[in-house]
Amino acid sequence: MTISVTDLTVRYGEKVVLDDISLDIVHGKWTCLVGPNGAGKTTFLKALLGMAPYSGSIKDRGQEVFKNHNRNVAFVPQSPQIPQGMTVAEYVMLGRSKRDGWGKDSLGSRRYVHKVLTQTHLFGMQNNLVAQLSGGEMQRALIARALAQQPELILLDEPTSALDLHHQISVLNNIELLKENGVTVISTMHDLTLAAMFAEEIVVIKAGKILLSGEANLVIHSSELKGAYDNRIDVYTLDSGRPVIIANKEVNN
Amino acid sequence: MSAEHGAISRIWNWRITAFCALILLAVAIMAVSFGPISINFFKVFKTLFDLPGGSTGQDRTVILELRLPRVILGALVGAALATSGAVYQTVFHNPLADPYLLGAASGAGLGATIALTSTHHDLHAALPIFAFGGGVLAVFTSFVISGKFFADPNSLLLSGIAVGSFATAIQTYLQQKHSAALRPVYSWILGDLTSATWSVVAWSSMYIAIALIILFTVAKQLDGLMLSDEEAYSLGINPKRLRIIAVAAATLATATAVSASGLIGFVGIVVPHLVRGLTHRVTNRSLISIAMAGAAFLVLADLGARTLLSPAELPIGVITAFVGAPFFLVVLRNRRKVMQ
Repeated sequence: MTISVTDLTVRYGEKVVLDDISLDIVHGKWTCLVGPNGAGKTTFLKALLGMAPYSGSIKDRGQEVFKNHNRNVAFVPQSPQIPQGMTVAEYVMLGRSKRDGWGKDSLGSRRYVHKVLTQTHLFGMQNNLVAQLSGGEMQRALIARALAQQPELILLDEPTSALDLHHQISVLNNIELLKENGVTVISTMHDLTLAAMFAEEIVVIKAGKILLSGEANLVIHSSELKGAYDNRIDVYTLDSGRPVIIANKEVNN
Repeated sequence: MSAEHGAISRIWNWRITAFCALILLAVAIMAVSFGPISINFFKVFKTLFDLPGGSTGQDRTVILELRLPRVILGALVGAALATSGAVYQTVFHNPLADPYLLGAASGAGLGATIALTSTHHDLHAALPIFAFGGGVLAVFTSFVISGKFFADPNSLLLSGIAVGSFATAIQTYLQQKHSAALRPVYSWILGDLTSATWSVVAWSSMYIAIALIILFTVAKQLDGLMLSDEEAYSLGINPKRLRIIAVAAATLATATAVSASGLIGFVGIVVPHLVRGLTHRVTNRSLISIAMAGAAFLVLADLGARTLLSPAELPIGVITAFVGAPFFLVVLRNRRKVMQ
């Protein structure tokens, strides 16, 4: 079971954001899109959701994504629109709309939301306003809504970018919970060390093209990865075998 | 252990909706009873439902031909403005959005002024048609100017402001040029329900009912529009299409309300915030309750407008602002307490 991307091109006006991309994404795995800013990672996620106008084809289980409205795909944006006056309970309950119908509030759904609030350590805050959550809590509320959706595929745009180290791991662990339930995870991530730690597949994108893709370990240790970042990164391996990727200090000539 | 154990409570409690319905009913019966001639509640009730022991003669005429259409029109206009306000606030992610935001009010004002300043006196009777046309035309122009047909709520909002200012400028010019029309234009702008007859109720109820049925049908999905378009799409709605449906229906309701009763301010902002503030829920599951609360609010305001200085009438807009503003502030203050 795969998502087959063939000759995908996305243009915004004159600008070509994604340039003739072809890729197979395996279901049930965590695939991470990495690459410099402006490479087209977010646009790729939107195209996978079916929200970016594209040429070429993206087939999920054989069906073109923008035509298939029955797919249950959760989308976690990098900077979400924060609804004024909405409580955490209302926010997470929105995730049930695809499973349960809009505004049904069924007992099953309310139980499920109770469960995901507990999983994401938000239980007890369900009557707080979303607008008043801290960065870490907001990210967990987003993940909770995605969990409530019980999706087959979850797309996450920089799920850890606004978080401190501790919260980064706790959010990523929550995403791993999803994967244990057979959910396919596709995320973008700036932090290559975290990408190497959690993702099974890594796709390196630069200037709208795929430079390389494959098993996380192989991609991280390949010389082309350094090329994608203009040789400005170094890859070290800890004693435990975990790779750590850090940026070079820039030298002024 | 209850069946609800291990579940969060319902987002919307339907007892609130029932409560709003009861209040509306009570306010309506009160409004039909009170006036220069006070009529006993039970008599009013019996007359309304054609039961034995109801009023006869002059009282019956007062109830059925004067007060009842006025109460019904007030309820319709209040429901239309409150619901549209709530919908605009959701669609534009803006708690200060009101039904007049996209130029509906200024457009209708211009239409009404054209009718009132016309040298053809026949046109005065056609004021509602001119106001309705002006309102709809202004909103439509805002749509067209904002380009990509609603790609971005903010661009629509800005073009609405521009169109509104333009229409107001022409209206002011016409008003100054025909100074005799100043007073009727002014009194129309402040809004009143004195023109309420069964024929006004008949045509306005038709449009308002269509608009409200559409809005109540999509109400729950409107919650999705509070998120970004990608999130809304992933939850199963088509955000662009839903926005157009919602704004079109809200505009139909607003333009109808304005052409039937002039510019009644404050209802569209106060009532949605009142219901949301008191229930601590922002969800549009509350839309029916907001409509009924808006209806009750306006019927009550109109009762004040026609009894406080009786036999003279106050413009209803004065009452809605005079009562609404302090009440609104109290709710805001309490809400902040809850939030802290």
